Amino acid sequence: MIKDIFFMGVDALRSRKIRTFLTLLGVIIGTGSVIIVASSGNSVKSYITEQWNIFDPTSMIIGIGTASDPPQISFREMGFTDHDVEEIEKMPYVKEVAPIGLLPLKSIALRDGFLKWQSKPGGTMYATTPALLDILNLEIEEGRIFQEGKKEIVISRSMTQIFEKDKPLKVGDTVYIQRVGGVIIKATIVGILKESEGANLLNQIASISIAGPVDPFYSSYFGSNVGGILKHVTAYGILSATAVDKEHVDDAKNDILDYLNSKSDALNYKNKNSDFVVITQQYIIEKVDQITNVMGMLITSIALVSLVVGGIGIANIMFATVTERRREIGTMMAIGAKRRDIMNLFLYQSAMIGLLGGVIGCMVGYSGTAFIIQVLSNYMREFAGSSFTHNIQLVYSYEWFAIALISGFATGIIAGVLPARKAAKMDPVVALRYE
Amino acid sequence: MPEEFVIDVRSVTKIYRSGKGEFKALNNISLKIKKGDFIALMGPSGSGKSTLMNILGCLDRTTSGEVLLEGENISGLTDGQLAEIRGRKVGFIFQTFNLIPTLNALKNVTLPMVFIGSPKADREKKAMDILRRMGLEKWATHLPSELSGGQQQRVAIARALANDPSIILADEPTGNLDSKTGEQVMQVLSAINKEGKTIVLVTHDHSLTKYTNKVFTLLDGEISDDKDNIGITTRTITEVRQPSKSKPKKHFSWSSIGKR
Repeated sequence: MIKDIFFMGVDALRSRKIRTFLTLLGVIIGTGSVIIVASSGNSVKSYITEQWNIFDPTSMIIGIGTASDPPQISFREMGFTDHDVEEIEKMPYVKEVAPIGLLPLKSIALRDGFLKWQSKPGGTMYATTPALLDILNLEIEEGRIFQEGKKEIVISRSMTQIFEKDKPLKVGDTVYIQRVGGVIIKATIVGILKESEGANLLNQIASISIAGPVDPFYSSYFGSNVGGILKHVTAYGILSATAVDKEHVDDAKNDILDYLNSKSDALNYKNKNSDFVVITQQYIIEKVDQITNVMGMLITSIALVSLVVGGIGIANIMFATVTERRREIGTMMAIGAKRRDIMNLFLYQSAMIGLLGGVIGCMVGYSGTAFIIQVLSNYMREFAGSSFTHNIQLVYSYEWFAIALISGFATGIIAGVLPARKAAKMDPVVALRYE
Repeated sequence: MPEEFVIDVRSVTKIYRSGKGEFKALNNISLKIKKGDFIALMGPSGSGKSTLMNILGCLDRTTSGEVLLEGENISGLTDGQLAEIRGRKVGFIFQTFNLIPTLNALKNVTLPMVFIGSPKADREKKAMDILRRMGLEKWATHLPSELSGGQQQRVAIARALANDPSIILADEPTGNLDSKTGEQVMQVLSAINKEGKTIVLVTHDHSLTKYTNKVFTLLDGEISDDKDNIGITTRTITEVRQPSKSKPKKHFSWSSIGKR
């Protein structure tokens, strides 16, 4: 009998197709958006986390800037000296430290034959020590690392093709590097870096295209001068370091800050109002997590609101249907329907709308997430260009499919209870009189 | 011997209470209907016919007094028990047919069987049998909206017969039909009556009393001029009891509408 009443409900829904469809739409949008939001949020979050994870989790960046939350590094303010680098390296919780001198290049030129020059606009060159490659997990694929004091550079694999694709630069080639507003320096390529797997928009710093030793590229020729004419000092804007292990990242950070704020050279050279800033990898991951969580919660609550709106839609239409079918309800009571039968008849209808809407919503959510991630990937690729090497992977959050399905179904039942009770409680005499 | 009477109404009073006060729809009514009777229940609008019908059909409760259907006292039963009795003992026929518009003719006829929980296979077979007797087997899969008024009313009669009830309550069954179709419907009811079903017909139309064997006339909630409470046989009923000027105007417009 329950089955028969169920199918009567199906018949009733089928006989009012547009109304049923529109009511369904409310639930579909509700459950669909819950899934899309949860799943695309999940995908983006795991993408970001994965991108940041290619960094050593013990790594950190030391700079001068504002120690706000989030902290900011200016990159323009120089102050750290070689002496500071040495002092930091001695700390018990610090594994490695490398200075980073950023050299904006005007051009890179290749002498092809006697008078034939080829020139390309350059990016940013890193003047550093070999330790930086360890810190950034970069490997030499071909050749060797540069030596301190020699005019040697290593370049990235993609950099080898900047002149001609079919005639790439090789180890042993000579190029001419010109700093913005500076002299031209002849350099020999001694090594080629393995393409970093995670090189992308989010970790530009890890995608080094040209790197060479501080001496001669930074100190002798381009070195940033601090300390006046008489006492020429080479100073760096940022340092990069790693801690001995994950557990001691904060200890290392505190030691470094203590040193910098008490007896470092940088203390004398930095701007009075600037702070020393150490940003650890863990801090960044935590921040990303926090942001994505807050975003996720915010959007999920909006999506759940739309599910509630869908439920109100069901309740609304069920009330209208109950009023409209008053005489049918009276008739059914007259021919033997019990109150429970009437209750079930309407409850089944709303539950079915909820369930069907949930199922369709899941399908919409499934394909909708794929669509949104695709659009997002395309957008990121356009925005980030070549550094966007990895597409965002679809990571469905299946628990949200279950949640959406169950809440769609529950919405249908909850929204149906009041109208169904109203129908079941009708006085058959009054209901039959209804025209 | 109460069993002799299919319907035994004992001093029933029905009072409707509203904000303005009380309205006595039925005033201490008693009547007895024998098995196989074809009763006409007449009276002007507001005389209490419908209230009495609703009480006989277990849709409404009495304020005082008792009603026995086939010897079973229905006063004081729960809603569920009343629904059960409606399903098994009573068949309703309405002026406006009241078929469920989303269900086809066959499903409409099976509906009362669904509510009392008969097995599916029996239901469809039995419903088809009844439809066949009504000459409607061709229309079994049609929706009510695809049927004429007369066909709809015959489907409704089939539905009323579905659970083989002992009592058929017909509330102005010809009121929405033209006179010719109305005659056909009355003939069907007459045939059913001859098979032993007790029929109570509410009507304004005196010409229909020719199908009935007894008439109760209600006036202001009381049965007029009937000391024995067993009805007046049709042959003795006269127009005097129900002067045509007391017929409500509404009735004329209904019959003039004919088919819906």
